[in-house]
Amino acid sequence: MEPQLEATQPQFRSVLSGPDAGELGFGFDEIHGLISNPPEAPSSSFTALLELPPPQAVELLVNEDFPAKPMPPPIFPSNIALIDRASKFSVFASADNSSEKTPILSASSPMKLDSVKREPPDSDSRPNSSSPPVSTQGLKSGKRKQEEKKVKVTNKKSKKAAAAANDSSEESGDKLPFVHVRARRGQATDRHSLAERARREKINARMKLLQELVPGCNKISGTAMVLDEIINHVQALQRQVEILSMRLAAVNPRIDFNIDDILAAESGSSIDNSYMGMFAPSMWPELQLEGNRQHQYPQPWQFAGLHHPSLAKEEADTPNFITPENSLISYDSPANSASLHSSQLKMEL
Amino acid sequence: MRNSAQLRHEFLKAWIKSLKIYSNLKKNMSISHRKNAIKLSADVAIASITQKAKPSASSHRWTQSLMADAASSDDGTNRIFVEQTLGYKLGNRKKSPTTGLMTKCSKKILRNNIRVFLGKSRKRTTPKHAKAGSIIANKGVEKRTRLLKRLVPGGEDMDEISLMEEALDYIALLQVQRDVLKQVAAVAESLRNLKSVN
Repeated sequence: MEPQLEATQPQFRSVLSGPDAGELGFGFDEIHGLISNPPEAPSSSFTALLELPPPQAVELLVNEDFPAKPMPPPIFPSNIALIDRASKFSVFASADNSSEKTPILSASSPMKLDSVKREPPDSDSRPNSSSPPVSTQGLKSGKRKQEEKKVKVTNKKSKKAAAAANDSSEESGDKLPFVHVRARRGQATDRHSLAERARREKINARMKLLQELVPGCNKISGTAMVLDEIINHVQALQRQVEILSMRLAAVNPRIDFNIDDILAAESGSSIDNSYMGMFAPSMWPELQLEGNRQHQYPQPWQFAGLHHPSLAKEEADTPNFITPENSLISYDSPANSASLHSSQLKMEL
Repeated sequence: MRNSAQLRHEFLKAWIKSLKIYSNLKKNMSISHRKNAIKLSADVAIASITQKAKPSASSHRWTQSLMADAASSDDGTNRIFVEQTLGYKLGNRKKSPTTGLMTKCSKKILRNNIRVFLGKSRKRTTPKHAKAGSIIANKGVEKRTRLLKRLVPGGEDMDEISLMEEALDYIALLQVQRDVLKQVAAVAESLRNLKSVN
C-alpha cells in the first residue's frame, strides 16, 4: 500500500491543487467543487482524491474516521500518480465500529482489491455491482453526509467505469433526521447537487400530497399545472366562503343562529324566545317541548351519520321518529340536518 | 388524520362559539359587518381547531397569521374577540402586514439593480455540474409559487417546503369551512323561505 499516505493527509489538497488544471481531463468541475468545499474532516479531501482516478475506477467506500476511533486512517495516494496506482491497488483500510464498507470492484475494472472490508448487511448492496452500500446506522450526522459524498463519488466513478449498473438511486424519506441521498448514475455528486436533489424530493413528495387533496389533479402532470390547479382551488374555496358568509349574513339580522340558541337551551334558559328569532313560531307548534329535547338526544344519534347525505338528497324525509323533536324536523331535509346538527352538538357538549 | 366528518363537527362547534362571543361583543351590526363577522369567526374557528387537535400544528404559520389578521383588523374589539375565542392572549405583532411587502419590494429592487449592473459583465458563475441540480427553478413554477404564497395566510416569508405543508392544511380546513357554511346557509335560507311562505 501507500503507507506514507497515512501521514500526509493534510498534504493531499495541496498536491491536488498542483495538477488541478485539466490534467485528467474529465469531470474536473466536480473535482473543483469537491476541492473547494471546506473540509469538515480530512476525509473530504479523500473524496476529492477519489474523484481523480482513471476510468477504471475502483469503487471504494471509506468510513469516516472519527477522531476517537482507534483505527488507522485510510490510506490514500498522495498525488495523482499515486492515485492511479491506488485505483489499481485500492486500499482503504479504515473501519468503523458500527459499519464497514466493502470496496467493490467494478466489473470491467481489471484492478484487484487488496483489502476487503466487512460489508454491513445492507439490502442495497449487490455482490457484483458497483453500487456501494451505505449503511445508515451508527454514523453521526455530520459524518454521514460525508459518507454520502463518498458514495456519490464512487458512484460517479462507476459511471465512468461503465461498470455494472449503478443505479442505486434510492432516496430515503424525510423520516430520518437528515436526508440520505443516493446519487443516480450520471449525476453530479457534490454537496450542492445533493442538497438540491434532497430538497426537490421533499417538494415532490408534498406536491403529491397536494395532488391527492385537490380534486382533479391526479391526471395532470407537471408541477406548474398542478400548482395552477391548487391555486384555482384555493381561490375558489375562498370565494365560496365569502359568498356563503354573505348569504348567511343576509338571512337574519342576528348572527347567532338557531343552533346557538339550542346550545343556550342546555342551561334551560329561555330557549323559546331565542327560537322565535330564528324560526316562525307557527312552524314549531311544540316549542314547549324544547325543554324535553334533552331527553331525546340519544335517539337522533343514529341518524347522525345520515344528515350529510340527506342534505345532499334534498328530499323531504319523514322518518319514523317517535320523539316529538323528530316530528318537528319533518319539514324538509335541511331542517332535518339542522336539528341533527344541533342534537349532535348538544351531545358533544 | 381525523376524518372530515369529525372535522366538520369541531369546526361547527368552534364557529358557533366564536359567533356567540362576537355577538356578545357587538350588537346591531350591518349586513356587511355581519358578513365579515361570520367570516372572521369561521377563520378563527378553523385556526383554533387546528391548534386544539394537533398541538404541533400551532407552529403552523397560517394559523398564527390568520389570528393575527383577525386580531388586527378594524378595531380593537376584534382582538378581544379572538382572544376570548382562543382562550389565550395573543402576542403583539406589529410588523407582520408590512414585512412581506417590504421584503418583496426590496428584493425586486435589488434584483433589478444587480441585473443592470452585472448584465453585460455577468459570467456564468454556476459550475457546469450544477445543471444537474437545476439551480434555476422553473419560471412558471416560481410565478405560481408566489401566487400561492399570497393566497395562503402567512405564506409570504416561508420557504417552499413549509409553504406546501401549510397549504395542505389550509386547503383541508378551507374545505371544511366551506362545507359547513354551505349546509348552515342552506338550512337558514330554507327556513327563512318557509317562514316567508307561511
